[in-house]
Amino acid sequence: MFAHGFRKDSALSEDLDARARANLLFRAIADCTAGKGAGVDAILASEGAQLLGVAQRILGRRDLAEEALQDAMLQVWRKAKQFDAQAGSARGWIYAILRNRCLNILRDGKRLSTLPPAELASLLEARQGIVPDEGWEILAGPSRIRDCLSGLDSQSRHIILLAHVAGFSHAEISTRQDVPLGTIKSLIRRGLQALKECLT
Amino acid sequence: MTRLSDEIIALSDEYVLGLLSPTEAALLEEIMVRDTELAQRVGRLRDRLLPLDLSAEPVELPDGFEQRLSGRLSTEPQLAAIETSRVTAAQPANLPVAPKKWVAGLMAASIAGLVAGIGLGGMQEAPDPKVVAVLVDAAGVPQAVIDDYGNDTAMVRFVADISVPADRTLQVWTLPSADMGPVSLGVLDGVAASRLSFEDLPDPNAEQLYEVTLEPLGGSPTGRPTGPIIGKGFAADQI
Repeated sequence: MFAHGFRKDSALSEDLDARARANLLFRAIADCTAGKGAGVDAILASEGAQLLGVAQRILGRRDLAEEALQDAMLQVWRKAKQFDAQAGSARGWIYAILRNRCLNILRDGKRLSTLPPAELASLLEARQGIVPDEGWEILAGPSRIRDCLSGLDSQSRHIILLAHVAGFSHAEISTRQDVPLGTIKSLIRRGLQALKECLT
Repeated sequence: MTRLSDEIIALSDEYVLGLLSPTEAALLEEIMVRDTELAQRVGRLRDRLLPLDLSAEPVELPDGFEQRLSGRLSTEPQLAAIETSRVTAAQPANLPVAPKKWVAGLMAASIAGLVAGIGLGGMQEAPDPKVVAVLVDAAGVPQAVIDDYGNDTAMVRFVADISVPADRTLQVWTLPSADMGPVSLGVLDGVAASRLSFEDLPDPNAEQLYEVTLEPLGGSPTGRPTGPIIGKGFAADQI
């Protein structure tokens, strides 16, 4: 009885947290559209450490991660008026901008070529380990997506995580897994289809 | 039931995962600006995959991070809101201006180096097209994208669900000049992405007109477009 009540309260408080956060981010973007820098500060106060953690995980280097987050927040500021609350959450929009910035840094040969060769090599090596063959569960967090990912065949799951969590391209995944590009592409499509159906 | 093709939905999924090239992503973003349903699909999948990002170990921001950023904000111009002449399934865009706006948007994107390799992404290295045309229907909804590579080859891809009656076929046309009149670039077997090869046309110009029409099986009997227009649009020059 007590345990039941406790669980209910805890779920309720998570729900309230999520709604408070959504409101906060929504207001923060509204501040940005009004040209108020406080909007950016509010986003960083709420999400900054998590955003930097995402960039650090993809890029593997603190300096690049900080650069990506600075650039991403500038984009949030520039594009704030284009945010469409009908199309998805503010949080999802902000993280997507950060991930895109990280991917552009990774795929911009010129940017990475400014690194000394030994550092570039160690960055690339560190990236190989972002998605482990075993123990992938930690990458999904405690949520429905974990259940849905565990329902996929292990190859599709691994490839989807390589793309989303580590930011590998089709071609990189193909080389890394030694599987033809066309096969990788169809495994991702099929896997995502199944994942979306499960998440619905 | 959605009006979006399986292909564009699959591409939008890959966009969320980060698998499109920057140029492909830019084209998809252009389409999303005009298409609420596609934008919502992207937003929904993004939100569902967000827990993957939230599983990263947080890293404290270094001292002075916010100050460095706010120094940069003051010199950073903000973009205007997107015009709200968006297309929704329920409410078609206002007819006369919508296609023009779309073309203008694509032209602007092409100046930024947009090359529409969308759909070929990662499958093969496509040569850069000389021009790209987005063909829209009368409501301004994108239906197809044509990459014209010059040297008498082009690629057509459909980005909307198009139903072709059993006794009809899709045919692609262009208007190299008023003197030449419309010239067929090819008759299509279906709505799959297709490579077109044709003969002896001058290389494409910026603002050359392209269109796709529905014709009798085997193609137009007159050598000129006769059937209803599925989509038409002007080329945007590629840099």
